[in-house]
Amino acid sequence: MRYCLLFILLCAYANLTKAQATRTVRGTVTDSVTGQPMSGVIITNLRGQRFATDYRGYFIAQLPMQNDTLRFSYLGYMTRRMPAPFNQPEALTVILSPRADKLEDVVVNTGYQQLPKERATGSFSQVSRAILEEQVSTDLISRLEGTANALQIDRKSSSLGDRITIRGLSTISGPRSPLIILDNFPYEGELNNINPNDIETVTLLKDAAAASIWGTRAGNGVLVITTKKGRFEQPTRVDFNMNITSGAKPDLYALKSMSSSDYVNLEQFLYDKGYYNSNINNNNRPGLTPVVEILIRKANGSLSAVQAESQLNALKQLDVRDDFLKWVYRPSLKQQYSISVRGGTKQQFWMMSAGFDRNLSTLSELYQRFNLRMDHTLRVGATTLQTGFYFTESNTENGKTGMESISGPLIILYPYAQLADADGNPLMMSRLRQGYVDTAGGGRLLNWNYHPLEDMKYTKQTSRLQDIVLNIGLQQPIVKGLHAELRYQYEKQFVDARTLQSVESYFARDLINKFSQINYSTGVVTYRIPKGGILDPSNRRTLSEALRAQLSYQQRWINQELNVLAGAEYRSIDNSTTGERIYGYDPETLGQGYVDYLTAYPNYITKSNQMIPRSSTRIGTAYRYISFFGNAAYTYKKKYTVSASMRRDASNLFGLNINDKWSPLYSVGASWNISQEKFYSISWLPVLRLRTTLGQSGNADPSKTALTTISYLGTSPYAQTNTAAVNQPPNPSLRWEKVNTWNIGIDFNTTNQRISGSLEYYRKKCTDLFGSAPVDYTGGAGDILIKNVGDILSQGWDIELQSINTKGLIKWMTNLNFSYNTDKVLTYYVNSRAISRFVQGSSSVSINPIEGYPVYGMYGYRWMGLDPANGNPIGVENGKPSTSYATITGSNTTIEDADFFGSVFPRVFGSLRNGFQWKQFQLNINLMFRFDYYFRKATINYNQLMSQGRHHTDYARRWQQPGDELNTEVPSFVYPAVTTRDNFYQGSSVHILKGDHIRLQYINLNYDLNGKQLKKLGLQKFQVYLNLQNLGILWRANKYGLDPEYFNTSAGNLPPERSMSIGIRAQF
Amino acid sequence: MKKYFFYSLACFLAFPSCEKTLETKPSSTLSVLSGIKEAQAVLDAYSFMNFRAPGAGEMSADDYYMLNAEYNIMTNEGMRRTPIWEKDNLFPPGENNWLALYRVVYYANSVLEAIENKELPTNEQQEKENICGQSFFWRAYAFQKAASIWAMVYDPAVANKTMGIPLRLTADFNVPSVRSTLEETYQQIVSDLKKAIPLLPVTPVHVMRPSKPAAYAILARTYLYMGEYGKAGLYADSSLQLRSSLMDFNTLTASGNYFMPQFNIEVLHHTIIQPPNPLANSQNKIDSNLYKSYVQNDLRRTLWFRSAGTGMVAFFGSYDGTGNLFSGPATDEMYLTRAECSARNNNVSAAMSDLNAVLIKRWKTGTFVPLTASTPADALDKIITERRKELLMRDLRWMDIKRYNRDGAGMSLKRTINGVTYTLPANDLRFALPIPEDIIALTGMPQNPR
Repeated sequence: MRYCLLFILLCAYANLTKAQATRTVRGTVTDSVTGQPMSGVIITNLRGQRFATDYRGYFIAQLPMQNDTLRFSYLGYMTRRMPAPFNQPEALTVILSPRADKLEDVVVNTGYQQLPKERATGSFSQVSRAILEEQVSTDLISRLEGTANALQIDRKSSSLGDRITIRGLSTISGPRSPLIILDNFPYEGELNNINPNDIETVTLLKDAAAASIWGTRAGNGVLVITTKKGRFEQPTRVDFNMNITSGAKPDLYALKSMSSSDYVNLEQFLYDKGYYNSNINNNNRPGLTPVVEILIRKANGSLSAVQAESQLNALKQLDVRDDFLKWVYRPSLKQQYSISVRGGTKQQFWMMSAGFDRNLSTLSELYQRFNLRMDHTLRVGATTLQTGFYFTESNTENGKTGMESISGPLIILYPYAQLADADGNPLMMSRLRQGYVDTAGGGRLLNWNYHPLEDMKYTKQTSRLQDIVLNIGLQQPIVKGLHAELRYQYEKQFVDARTLQSVESYFARDLINKFSQINYSTGVVTYRIPKGGILDPSNRRTLSEALRAQLSYQQRWINQELNVLAGAEYRSIDNSTTGERIYGYDPETLGQGYVDYLTAYPNYITKSNQMIPRSSTRIGTAYRYISFFGNAAYTYKKKYTVSASMRRDASNLFGLNINDKWSPLYSVGASWNISQEKFYSISWLPVLRLRTTLGQSGNADPSKTALTTISYLGTSPYAQTNTAAVNQPPNPSLRWEKVNTWNIGIDFNTTNQRISGSLEYYRKKCTDLFGSAPVDYTGGAGDILIKNVGDILSQGWDIELQSINTKGLIKWMTNLNFSYNTDKVLTYYVNSRAISRFVQGSSSVSINPIEGYPVYGMYGYRWMGLDPANGNPIGVENGKPSTSYATITGSNTTIEDADFFGSVFPRVFGSLRNGFQWKQFQLNINLMFRFDYYFRKATINYNQLMSQGRHHTDYARRWQQPGDELNTEVPSFVYPAVTTRDNFYQGSSVHILKGDHIRLQYINLNYDLNGKQLKKLGLQKFQVYLNLQNLGILWRANKYGLDPEYFNTSAGNLPPERSMSIGIRAQF
Repeated sequence: MKKYFFYSLACFLAFPSCEKTLETKPSSTLSVLSGIKEAQAVLDAYSFMNFRAPGAGEMSADDYYMLNAEYNIMTNEGMRRTPIWEKDNLFPPGENNWLALYRVVYYANSVLEAIENKELPTNEQQEKENICGQSFFWRAYAFQKAASIWAMVYDPAVANKTMGIPLRLTADFNVPSVRSTLEETYQQIVSDLKKAIPLLPVTPVHVMRPSKPAAYAILARTYLYMGEYGKAGLYADSSLQLRSSLMDFNTLTASGNYFMPQFNIEVLHHTIIQPPNPLANSQNKIDSNLYKSYVQNDLRRTLWFRSAGTGMVAFFGSYDGTGNLFSGPATDEMYLTRAECSARNNNVSAAMSDLNAVLIKRWKTGTFVPLTASTPADALDKIITERRKELLMRDLRWMDIKRYNRDGAGMSLKRTINGVTYTLPANDLRFALPIPEDIIALTGMPQNPR
């Protein structure tokens, strides 16, 4: 059916090019104050045709042979109407005068309609291209941090999509991130595909009225990304932008590492305690660190005490970070090029752009992206046809292995490890006992040594992504005021990823050796895994289609205006992922070997039987959505506007009753243009507008199933049948999650726009929220289940201010985005109050709310300092000092015994941007601030130090003798480690710090050539720019110099490197 | 122009109906538990059903010891506390033995609720019976394991005044958990097994799945523990009637460090303990007196044990053929059960003949001299000794100690770690391990007294 539709749309396209009987009206538009021609004035006629003036202020309109009126409009100017002449003797001259009372005249794009902001009742804010261009980045989303109102990026979450929040939380367990729309439809590809150079504006839809048109997925707000377009009657313009960014090597010395000398001494101590005995005698022959090997040799006499001591002292001088900085990390380099061509004639406008990005990270990982975009709008008569095409191809290739990914005998690398000798020759590291590896198999096995620096070359990870978006739209006036619109979008994304660990790689050699059998009498080696590379290919395919039909009715009377929109939408998203490991892969012949997955073979080292690991993925998902939507707005005398909107969404959520599949959303709103009232007389505030909205949305949880659902786990190698886990118990008692949002705001503007902006207050009451609740796992369905856990109230203020501070030689402008958001739990039905559920480790954030407290609260075990006698940390049990850590942290101690600090997420946040202009120079400085929240600093955990090697510099500050408790909070080291003591210490209040800080987000300096210079070069615009990014923190509340957004415990969670970009922008 | 628009609109309206679109299955890996195919898939989830047998019983028993260095490197509180019989906090929240066993119960209940009363075509009838039989078996298996860990030993005199375990007979997780009496617990185990037996096949598709001889074996194991030696002997006999093969250890060849073949002919049903540190053969040592009791010609001495340092050995004789501990029923256990019951029934010759039937397969060919006993007590004594040796690290020792003590053996357990000697006196209340504290907090069920 859809192909049929596509065919018809294409026929229509072909047909549109046929000309119709028209007449031509031409003229120029000038500014009443300056007398200068005005470009970009929008001219519309009664039939909804749109024209625009070019840079000379000139326009040509092809009109039908009928009576017609032309309407000239331009941001901030009074709109003029005049009848279109039939026999035009000479060009018309139209003069527009600026509006004294103008609001910032912005058109917001909701993805369904273009709406003048002055008529909107909902909460919108916009980031313009000019502001987006102040930053240099490969992706768009990171440019929104610090520029968009009420938007926050949580740097501690891993995937970009989950990190964005608008106006805090409206759900406990569901996704927190907003819905992202590219032009008219949700974007299903990867966010990194979008080239920021193609973007005109980003609109944030923050409240229920703004977002309700997008349905249930819009509960967290909506980001509408609008691409650049051409215009009618526009001369052809070429824009060019290129830049180059260089970033520093990561600051590994900021890691809170333990000193090599402390580490060596600790290993010596543990060796003496017999800590390594079980590993030394272990059949699995686990690797040991150089210190332990030296101590073993000293113990069995092959090293003298003096020799051992000198070798240990040599190790104490080493720092593995020196090696990583010397041999692994390089300054990063990013290049970006983009070019676009756009133009328009009377009947069509078009835009083509191409972009190329090439990034080389500090680990020499390569990312290349190529974007190609075409957009074409054609109009014949009253029918408009728009077609678009957006293609992205990106390639990634792995580079070197970062410090956090190389491990020695333990998960975390010991601090005195060496990657290479002074000449750069890669050095070995023990994954297995060196003595064993040297002799295993008597030379018949593959080399079993591991050289991390060398090994990086033999693992090749590549991924190729292709994404194509095609869209086509048709607009057709039906009767006066009534328009019909059809839109269709097709998107396909392929990701072809492969990891090849060649036979030279340690991974492949190790696995092949483990599955080798040697017949010692004949010397024949049987390889159960063929000697060759191991390839893990995976293919991911996303296919999405969207189809929308909508009718809009627009009618104006003298004092009234009515806008109605109604439509239906169908969307489908199909994902599939396949992958199957190939053993014995030969990259030259593409040949592969055979393995037997059903037989258990003795592991060469442990002599224990095991099967060859199989990795196979075949997953398909299919989502279907059907929606009906409508909204209406009525304006009276340009003063009073009321609006309403509703939407019903249905999807193919699994196991739901059909009645539960439909979720209703509605919103109502009103606005009052106070400054238009006769009684209004505040002359310094010519614009004042009040608006408010109220909306409700509902959500059914996928686990609200009527039947037990299972999820397949794969085929059993034993019974050779499918196996499955019970996925979801029937949970019919779940009620709908509901979110009620109220928003009230004022928009204002002082004389000459010295200060303009908006102030908004919102309140989101979320009832019957879904959340995971601890349940009695005697029931068998697990220890955590989704339940209606409670109600929360989230409220806050958003302030957006623009001010022109000075005019004249130096122009100084300020933009402030200020948000205050606080949430608290109103009721909570779950009765687990065990303290350990509330006190989290340093890295994880999970919720376990208490009535009256924030949803994500920061709690700590009450801290009574260190015991002066032995350096044990002291907690509180039943109001009395205690060191029974198992009880303090156990199930019987409740949250009442914890200290509460505040919210984990910033309650106050925003950004301050100052722009200065002097002659041809422009300087922009952006500061970002986050206040009123808490974070937990990382520290030493003795148990993890011994078992995982997770070291921390706090070790050096540990209590060692009486009196130390006055200067340190780090407990004494005890052996054997007591897990609960470590957990208590790590979870105690002493590590909770205020997270408040101000960050210098970016500095941008531009130099523009002036008109004379441009003329000489034949250019329209030429700009050179310099950007500095990730400049770090200007002020912080904590006295430890910590960045509250990063943990500084491994190279993977260090703050991003400082970087500098230089670029040029030109138009001709 | 307009006509094209309306053509398009017509096409749009002709798109598939809402209902049909909304019935598209959203994921290839999801399904509704409704038919026998799905039910069998759930019961075949071996990683949850077969591979999560509880280790708490064996960890509490006395066949192994640990060196201080090996004990001190352990970080899991539960593993540190269980071997020294601490009175609480043995099962930290998360994936613990309680969760693993009650998940088996839940899977069995879910399958039973989905298909037990469902009308199925006649060609699926046999399959349905088999699946119901498997479900009853699994539920009984899990209840039996749980009762051996979290309840005192079954004593008919006080069983209806002793706390048993919660008996969950429905998949509805909203039903509150309450502790049954020990009498009710064992009635349920026995009745589930008796329901399973007629439904199960004699030979399963794989020993990962329950079978008739396996169900008889678990029933014999249960009655033996309950002290109903007559019934235990009868059901062990029923099991042996169906499956009685024994491995001749003379014929075994090594596969790596392990001589015992996985899924060998003695295995009736395959479940394993993934050993927590105190049970791992890289960490613990087998009691040296126990090891010394395997004589030179006893092949088990060489096939089952590997040196673990001077004068110390570790156990490599699991029927899994790996370091995982086999804990399912096997034919050798049935021979020894029948032997013990015969001895208790004063039938010395039958008892010794069953015992010798096993042992002759364990000795070097031609070296075994059949054991003899003068009195039933002598026979019982020999069988109890050999039972410990043959069924080493099979998760049976803890149950055996509990029942011997009920019968008056007065065995108290001792373990010395870091210079401290810990003792568990016979019939101490700590023979019922503490129910996970978070379960007590969530349900309000009474904790085992201390």
